[in-house]
Amino acid sequence: MKNTLKVERAILNLTQDELAQKIGVSRQTINSIETNRYVPSTVLALKLSKLFNKPVNQFFTLEDNE
Amino acid sequence: MIVKNIWEWDKRNFERLKKFQLHHRFKKIGALLFIILLLALIALKFIESEPALLKSIIKNGLLVGLLMISVSKEKIEDERIVHLRQQSYQIAFVLGVVYSIALLPLVNYVVDIILQKEVLDFSTSTWEVLFFMLVMQIYFFRMMLKKCQ
Repeated sequence: MKNTLKVERAILNLTQDELAQKIGVSRQTINSIETNRYVPSTVLALKLSKLFNKPVNQFFTLEDNE
Repeated sequence: MIVKNIWEWDKRNFERLKKFQLHHRFKKIGALLFIILLLALIALKFIESEPALLKSIIKNGLLVGLLMISVSKEKIEDERIVHLRQQSYQIAFVLGVVYSIALLPLVNYVVDIILQKEVLDFSTSTWEVLFFMLVMQIYFFRMMLKKCQ
């Protein structure tokens, strides 16, 4: 699964740390999601969706082989 | 009605057990306890008459120290940490089983041959297996945390 979290974060002009604080996770978790090392849970994805004011599938997309 | 209440009570306790974790500060307390007891165990080797009871208490204390490190929370305990912790327990469990059925008896056997003991020992000690599993869990958890920095 790929994501455009970094882009969405840049649009809101937030640092990884600021975004992490807003959704109640650590900065390392945001970094892991951005670098595709960790796939977040539905709860976390929905929190991000609420913050970005966009549907989840706009910033999380499945790769061709998935 | 009674059965339903028992079921609810059981479910509540199970949920509580699933979420059980110590405060972050217990990690340091556990590490301190472990170091102190490890030094005490080493010091005990230099005493001519090794008191068996004291040795047993120290060894169990070492396990308690490791368990405290293992079950205490991180500073920020989020879903990724929970996921990494689950993975580390899974790895430690598999390694623990392999260690207890294959590696430990083999090591004991080789040591017995080297020491030229008359009766060869294939047994596994509970303490050694638990110690190995806890060390592996802590090691893999820290390693995975470091990798995901």
